[in-house]
Amino acid sequence: MQKYANPHVFVKLASVVLPYVWALTAILFAIGLYGALVTSPPDYQQGETVRIMYVHVPASWLALMIYSLMAVFSAIALIFRHPLADAAAKSAAPIGAVFCFLALFTGSVWGKPMWGTWWVWDARLTSMFVLMLLYLGYMAIWRAIDDPHRAASIAAIVALVGAINVPIVKYSVDWWNTLHQPASVFRMSGSTIDKSMLWPLLVMALAYTMLFVALLLVALRGEIALRKLRSKRLAEVRSK
Amino acid sequence: MDWSAPHAGFVAAAYAASAIGILGLIIWLVRRDISARKQEDHIG
Repeated sequence: MQKYANPHVFVKLASVVLPYVWALTAILFAIGLYGALVTSPPDYQQGETVRIMYVHVPASWLALMIYSLMAVFSAIALIFRHPLADAAAKSAAPIGAVFCFLALFTGSVWGKPMWGTWWVWDARLTSMFVLMLLYLGYMAIWRAIDDPHRAASIAAIVALVGAINVPIVKYSVDWWNTLHQPASVFRMSGSTIDKSMLWPLLVMALAYTMLFVALLLVALRGEIALRKLRSKRLAEVRSK
Repeated sequence: MDWSAPHAGFVAAAYAASAIGILGLIIWLVRRDISARKQEDHIG
């Protein structure tokens, strides 16, 4: 495992693996979208609007998963000072921010016809909005601080402190009275969603996850190249 | 999907926004990756 965490080995490995990850992502999206828009039935209450679920729920899961992953990478960066860990956390942040924005936007578009409002400050929506702010804050730190080592340390602390919001988002629908519905897929008593709707949802979630893997590999490879470039330029300036 | 059903526009908006967001992210990250590696190769 340690061998693959070497930046040089990682770049070579990413270049080999990426075409397969992209291909798998495309296949999963094709199957998932076919299930979401063609084979799955309209809901008896929500009608066709239920199809927003197939893009809203995977985006929300990914937004939470990516932030959790950023916290893990940040902890590794702080404890072991591994060169790939803070680069991985930094590379994951804009991807997570886009998924978080899409979760908020598609949720709002789903809320208007179902709840009669675009937005309400209930616990789930508010905690998800806080997650978006945490993503933006984390990215702002990297942009605002010139010294990359200092930026990495401060950003890692922000990622770890902000991770407290992840279980708050997840359990907000159980801890407080919310307009947002409670969990309906991952429940102790099993999913409440019919199989005809569940399989497209799970395939779409898998497609989003594979997309994230592909994007993280691309982003991290780019970040490593930029860091090498910065080191070379610094070495050039020092040698003059 | 019945695109003439009530609220079908909301479904279209959600899927269009997701597609734009995802494609935008892919284009931005791939271009950044290619540009960084090209510059790195150029400097040697």
